[in-house]
Amino acid sequence: MLDIGFAKSALPKSGALVLLLEEGEPLAGDLLTAIDEATAGAVLRALAAAEFKGRAGTHCTILAPGAGLSRVIAIGIGKPDSLTQRTAEEAGGNVVPLLAKETHAAIAAGGLSSELAAAVAMGAALRSYRFDRYRTKEKAEDKPRLTKLVLLAAQPVKAREAWVPLKATVEGVFFSRDLVSEPANILTPAEMADRCMALEKLGVKVDVLGPKEMNKLGFGALMGVAMGSANEPRMVVMHWNGLSGGKKPSKAAAPPLAFIGKGVTFDTGGISIKPAAGMEDMKWDMAGAGAVCGLMATLAGRKAKVDVVGLVGLVENMPSGTAQRPGDVVTSLSGQTIEVLNTDAEGRLVLADVIHYCQEQFNPRFMIDLATLTGAIIVALGHEYAGLFSNDDALSAQIASVAEETGEKTWRMPLADAYDRGLKSDIADMKNIACRYGGAITAAQFIQRFVKDGKPWVHLDIAGMAWSSKDTATTPKGATAFGVRLLDRLVSAHYETT
Amino acid sequence: MKLRIGSSAPSALAVALPVPLGGALPHEAVPAAKAAHFNGEVGTCCEARTGGRLLLLLGIGPSPHNATYRAAGAMAVARLSHVKRIALDATGLFAPQAAAFALGAVQRGWTPPQNRRNTDPDAPKLTHIDLISEIPGIEAAWGDAEAVWHGSELARDLVALPSDVVTPDGFIERLEPLRKAGVSITVLKRRDLEREGLGALLAVGQGSAHRPRLVLLQWEGAMEAKPVVFVGKGVTFDTGGICIKPADKMWEMRADMAGAAACAGAMLSLALRRSPAPVCAVLALAENAVGAESYRPGDVLTSFSGKTIEVIDTDAEGRLVLADALAWAVRRLRPAAVIDLATLTGSIVVALGHEMAGLFGNDPALAAHVAAAGEVVGELVWRMPMAAGYREALASDIADLMNCARGKGQPDACQAAAFLGEFVGETPWVHLDIAGVESHETADDAQAAGATGFGVRLLDRLVAARFEDPHRA
Repeated sequence: MLDIGFAKSALPKSGALVLLLEEGEPLAGDLLTAIDEATAGAVLRALAAAEFKGRAGTHCTILAPGAGLSRVIAIGIGKPDSLTQRTAEEAGGNVVPLLAKETHAAIAAGGLSSELAAAVAMGAALRSYRFDRYRTKEKAEDKPRLTKLVLLAAQPVKAREAWVPLKATVEGVFFSRDLVSEPANILTPAEMADRCMALEKLGVKVDVLGPKEMNKLGFGALMGVAMGSANEPRMVVMHWNGLSGGKKPSKAAAPPLAFIGKGVTFDTGGISIKPAAGMEDMKWDMAGAGAVCGLMATLAGRKAKVDVVGLVGLVENMPSGTAQRPGDVVTSLSGQTIEVLNTDAEGRLVLADVIHYCQEQFNPRFMIDLATLTGAIIVALGHEYAGLFSNDDALSAQIASVAEETGEKTWRMPLADAYDRGLKSDIADMKNIACRYGGAITAAQFIQRFVKDGKPWVHLDIAGMAWSSKDTATTPKGATAFGVRLLDRLVSAHYETT
Repeated sequence: MKLRIGSSAPSALAVALPVPLGGALPHEAVPAAKAAHFNGEVGTCCEARTGGRLLLLLGIGPSPHNATYRAAGAMAVARLSHVKRIALDATGLFAPQAAAFALGAVQRGWTPPQNRRNTDPDAPKLTHIDLISEIPGIEAAWGDAEAVWHGSELARDLVALPSDVVTPDGFIERLEPLRKAGVSITVLKRRDLEREGLGALLAVGQGSAHRPRLVLLQWEGAMEAKPVVFVGKGVTFDTGGICIKPADKMWEMRADMAGAAACAGAMLSLALRRSPAPVCAVLALAENAVGAESYRPGDVLTSFSGKTIEVIDTDAEGRLVLADALAWAVRRLRPAAVIDLATLTGSIVVALGHEMAGLFGNDPALAAHVAAAGEVVGELVWRMPMAAGYREALASDIADLMNCARGKGQPDACQAAAFLGEFVGETPWVHLDIAGVESHETADDAQAAGATGFGVRLLDRLVAARFEDPHRA
């Protein structure tokens, strides 16, 4: 990760300097006057020539302005006092691509509160992510060179304190993005389970169940999906016991929060095979599980005062001589039978068993599942919002409010008996698909059949959000780790004891 | 269908009787109820023979509300449509409950106009319903319900009739009941549309021999207030135009004027029950045909608002006719609120299926009122988002905006709503994407097959609940 430091606000002697400038006449911002004087007015002249007004989202680069600096970059942050945590992150994120040719840079954040200065740092760190493990021939001059970023703050000690938990979040996000970016020949279920084991270093207790254990327990739905692949399935259960100092919570302890992720490491569709075009995207069909792993890393990394379990069902969905067929009937862990009409509606089968197991084992306070579940949710909401389905208005409202704060937005979608009726099967308790209309809703209805009455539950269909085809302020093109920051904020805002 | 209210129904061949959970039964029906394990649970029913008459027991559960009675009425007709004359026994019901019972029945009894002279021996025979009620106020309660019924029938007939009959002018000819009820009707024809500059509506209609029209329906009401304005998409047939649709199921596109039909139906309902609220409807009628004069993908249109639109797909035509109708309504009528209805996108059907319409808008309060009205009448809507990203996807290289985003799998319902939002400005506005709920595929206890008239009852209820109070804010 980018090395982030904090220092007292003063003009740096070399490298790049980033100014955060408020909109208005005249322009205002930390170190603006100092750098302008040090460059004999060159900076303000350049900004005037570029008609830079400080509007949010605008920037202006001045090369070799003097005073020993290689460049000065002005970033517009909009009207005075309009900066929020999120827009500060965006400002920080937008700086990073402008600094690709610099090795070290400083951001003049002396005009911001310590929290906002830390948020700028977080945005920059999030944007600096790069997955270049397999680019073996990339020339050094083509790689971004920025290694050290210093936030010049009014109170550097306080800003650094504010940065500590945010750094853990960034690390959790990166852990998740790495998992989602890895190709499926590398990241098999077993490999992903191994990578989860690495969280033990942070104090997370990790249990892994293999096919033998799951068969014995009766994970018929999950095992049905897995049986076509040579890569064996896993279920990983991650415990973060932040309230009992990492030890196993006592019997009297309040039940944990539970997060559950769909982890289909590659989804060919199985016998109901997908069209070839775009199938490579299906390496990220484990992004729900990836988000849960990233969340666990975050909570452990910042020593969150909360007890949480994270469960991920990891399978590969392949067509083969041993694969599940359309028409098969499987018996899920809950005892309910499922007629598999489409082997490409496999995510819900995996979730069905993991969700049931989670309730039986942990009787959690609530369950939130994340899954790249349906194409229908993309046709419904595009890449703006994840679909949120829930049986609990209060929990949904909490998520919606933190969603706005983190920029990981959700939109509530309906559940109703009329949709559930479409799942009726002639031969089993239910089918795994209904008609193609309302497909994201009927998928959620399917999952709800495995949620016990009265158990608060949220399902996030993140199919449109897990991968970005373009750079955004704090997320480079590629794996987004959608859900990590959202759920981390949910926990910190509503479920942590202080 | 005829409905008569009276204290008895001697000539009815069958009687439908609502029964609460565990409620007492007429003693001659007890054996049949026992055999069928009928105990009044909501949504269940049981037939019993009593003397020469058929008795249908309708379970209404422990705490019935108006919607329960509406559903019971529908079930009565669904189960008894093979009988010519039935009675609904509303003895003991309050007037609103009895009216809901009757409305549910007559609405379920709708048949497509093509079927009304059906010689098929299995065709429904039911033509007369007797509502047995002596409760004071029943005439007034039924009067309001009857107005909605007639409005709904008008809308459903318009949707069901084929597109060779319901051309833009054919649609207008069928608005005669509105004129009779006191609604003024103004039709803008080609010259008027050209003079006014409704370039988007004209473009959509230019490929058809049946020319586009803009219809203004006005109900003055009895209050000094800005009008509520309904705007309806009335594409009398949608081939898709040059971006022609696949042949499979193209016939369903005769229902692509269901939004305009619902607006017309709601106007009739309001006029028949003499609503005090001033209400207008603007109907954008056009046929989207393939012809030598058809507009093309890539064309740039200048809309009534002055905004230019690059046509990416000629099958995204509903939003074009609405763009002009909405902008025209806002400028010419200065509305208090605008509600548009349109069978606009396939995307909303993928999103919400056939159970709910998508609701978009720029005014949370109006959106909440619309959703509440839908809830009351059983025409459900679900709030969908308006985010800047949907508008950004419509950025054009050559014009002010594109009519849809390029590429497959787009969140087209949200983008279409963002498109429409460009033409309403600050006026409180709700857009209902009713694709998927305008027709009901197969008949069941709740609904007849075919046109649903979705929106008529919602709009009527919205006006009653929100716009008829002279002291409203």
